[in-house]
Amino acid sequence: MRRPEAGAFAAFIITYLFFALATPGTGFVSVNGTAGWLNLASELGIVAIPVGLLMISGEFDLSIGSTVGAASMILALGTNHFGLPIWPTVFLALAAGAAIGLANGLAVVKTKLPSFIVTLATNFIVIGGTMGISRLLANVTSSSIVASDSAKFMFAARWGQANISILWWLVVAFIGYRVLSRSVFGNWIFATGGNLDAARGAGVPVQRVKISLFVATGVAAALVGIIQGVQWNSGNSTYGMGYVFQAPIVVVIGGVLLTGGYGSVMGIVLGTALFGVISSGIFYTGWNTDWIQLFLGSLLAAAVLANNYVRRLALTSR
Amino acid sequence: MKIAKTLLAAAVVAAASMASTVPGRAAEDGPILVVSGPLSWPFFAAVKKGFDDAAETFGIDYQYIAVTDTSNMTSDYPRLLQQAISREPRMLLVGEFFPDGMDPLIKEATAAGIPVLIHNSGQTLWEQNGAIGFVGEDPYQMGYKAGELQAEAGVTVGLCFNQVPGNPTVEERCNGYVAAMEEAGKETVYQTIGTGDATNPQAMTQAIKGTLQANQSIDGIYTLNAVPAMSALRAVEEVERKGEVMVGTADLSNEALLAIQSGDLAFAMDQQPYLQGFLSIQIAHQFLNYGLHPIGHVKTGPLVIDSSNVEDTLKVNREHTGVRGAS
Repeated sequence: MRRPEAGAFAAFIITYLFFALATPGTGFVSVNGTAGWLNLASELGIVAIPVGLLMISGEFDLSIGSTVGAASMILALGTNHFGLPIWPTVFLALAAGAAIGLANGLAVVKTKLPSFIVTLATNFIVIGGTMGISRLLANVTSSSIVASDSAKFMFAARWGQANISILWWLVVAFIGYRVLSRSVFGNWIFATGGNLDAARGAGVPVQRVKISLFVATGVAAALVGIIQGVQWNSGNSTYGMGYVFQAPIVVVIGGVLLTGGYGSVMGIVLGTALFGVISSGIFYTGWNTDWIQLFLGSLLAAAVLANNYVRRLALTSR
Repeated sequence: MKIAKTLLAAAVVAAASMASTVPGRAAEDGPILVVSGPLSWPFFAAVKKGFDDAAETFGIDYQYIAVTDTSNMTSDYPRLLQQAISREPRMLLVGEFFPDGMDPLIKEATAAGIPVLIHNSGQTLWEQNGAIGFVGEDPYQMGYKAGELQAEAGVTVGLCFNQVPGNPTVEERCNGYVAAMEEAGKETVYQTIGTGDATNPQAMTQAIKGTLQANQSIDGIYTLNAVPAMSALRAVEEVERKGEVMVGTADLSNEALLAIQSGDLAFAMDQQPYLQGFLSIQIAHQFLNYGLHPIGHVKTGPLVIDSSNVEDTLKVNREHTGVRGAS
């Protein structure tokens, strides 16, 4: 019970059972229904993990939304308007994600301004830049993507109805877990977010920690943009805008402290899965959908409260 | 009556220019201002291309004003319109997207003698607010046509999927669809999605998939934009009912056209955004120079694109990027 993911695990089980019971005969618990909510969760999950590590280190990244859109537009402009093969544009998109992350990281550690504001600004700058450049180059702000078979396999393959994005999610989660819980760098992340001055005093390269995590977040966001772009054959500068707040929400549901210093990758994965179950399961109920957001918000609040209660219990039982 | 009003407006303009301290025709030196939709949407990119092409054809300078951040459009558009009016334009070309905030301002502008031409949205208002005309579609009629097409094709339970709940123009399309279906004795289901997911095709797919599972008698889907149309096709495929559920959409995209070509998508409703821009500038040019303008509503839609005309549309889309509003 002491682990950060205990609350998220409990909330996930309760929510899943709730929807399993509320949607009889609709196939929500079937293989295809499960593939559905996993597909939804995996795309958010890929970017939520580095966002979570970043939050454990004490920083936010709200620029992920526009980075997703920018990556998809790089693929679209590269393959459709300049006739490039897809793979170079994939690496260009990842490099752009890394560059955006690097810019965020440098701006945050050099100016010491809150990352909430810095990356919110980046979010506008990147989407504005994406639209402006797209219009300048090709007079469009969304466009088709021409993908090769190998790229389609890597980013849009499907087994039954399960997308390859679920595998990517697992890979990112595994890397995140190794880094956070099985490496010195992981200890540095906790130390940076837990007590910045003490960490600096103990010789932790706090600036390098933060910048590396911003870069990782940018690359992950670009990967999501590539996956969405190839999957839907289309780049769109507004892809990913929903993630700006969904990612921090699932990270917090997963037991990461908003103030940093506490959390786990398993918790973030469970928080994302919970979000996937809620936002997909609600449609299987067939209820009047005007209430969806009210219901979604209440469920999230309940999940976070339950989570918080379990965590307090865990911390006091030491 | 309309002519009298126009003459009155012209007289006010003339009086204003004579009263001006600057010699000559000062009021006529004002800019032609366009307040229209966000250019991040391919649809309005095509509207702007129409404006640009017509401006070049008729040798006119104009300025396109739009929001870049689409999260507060209901309050941003009246503000943009207010600013445009205060610049004393020679003529205002306005998309009346949010009537509650924009209609009083348009009345102020027309009362002050600024000629106003409405495009895209505002089809029920222009005759009352003093505008000289309207170029565009009626979203209700567009939805109605989609409902008629699906009812004729034998759809018994139709789903209207609205990815932007709260937008009155877009909701009218669902209202029209529902009305046409109900007149034909069919059932309908109305479905919305959380605002954060309006640009997430995966989230829309899972929403439509869940809805199809919850209500398995649904055999027709009408989407209000080309992106959710692709999500609807994927959802139908995932519930293994391809060929049993008729999917049609408002607006176009290259993917949607290709899906019509391959027979997956039944139809797309085109309101010809390019014409809305081009005809607005043409009317402005002819009105300002000769005092001429069409009498009544100039309709640009809906044009139904289905298997019969999709090849031509795709050809134009390839050869003239951006004209069809489908990229």
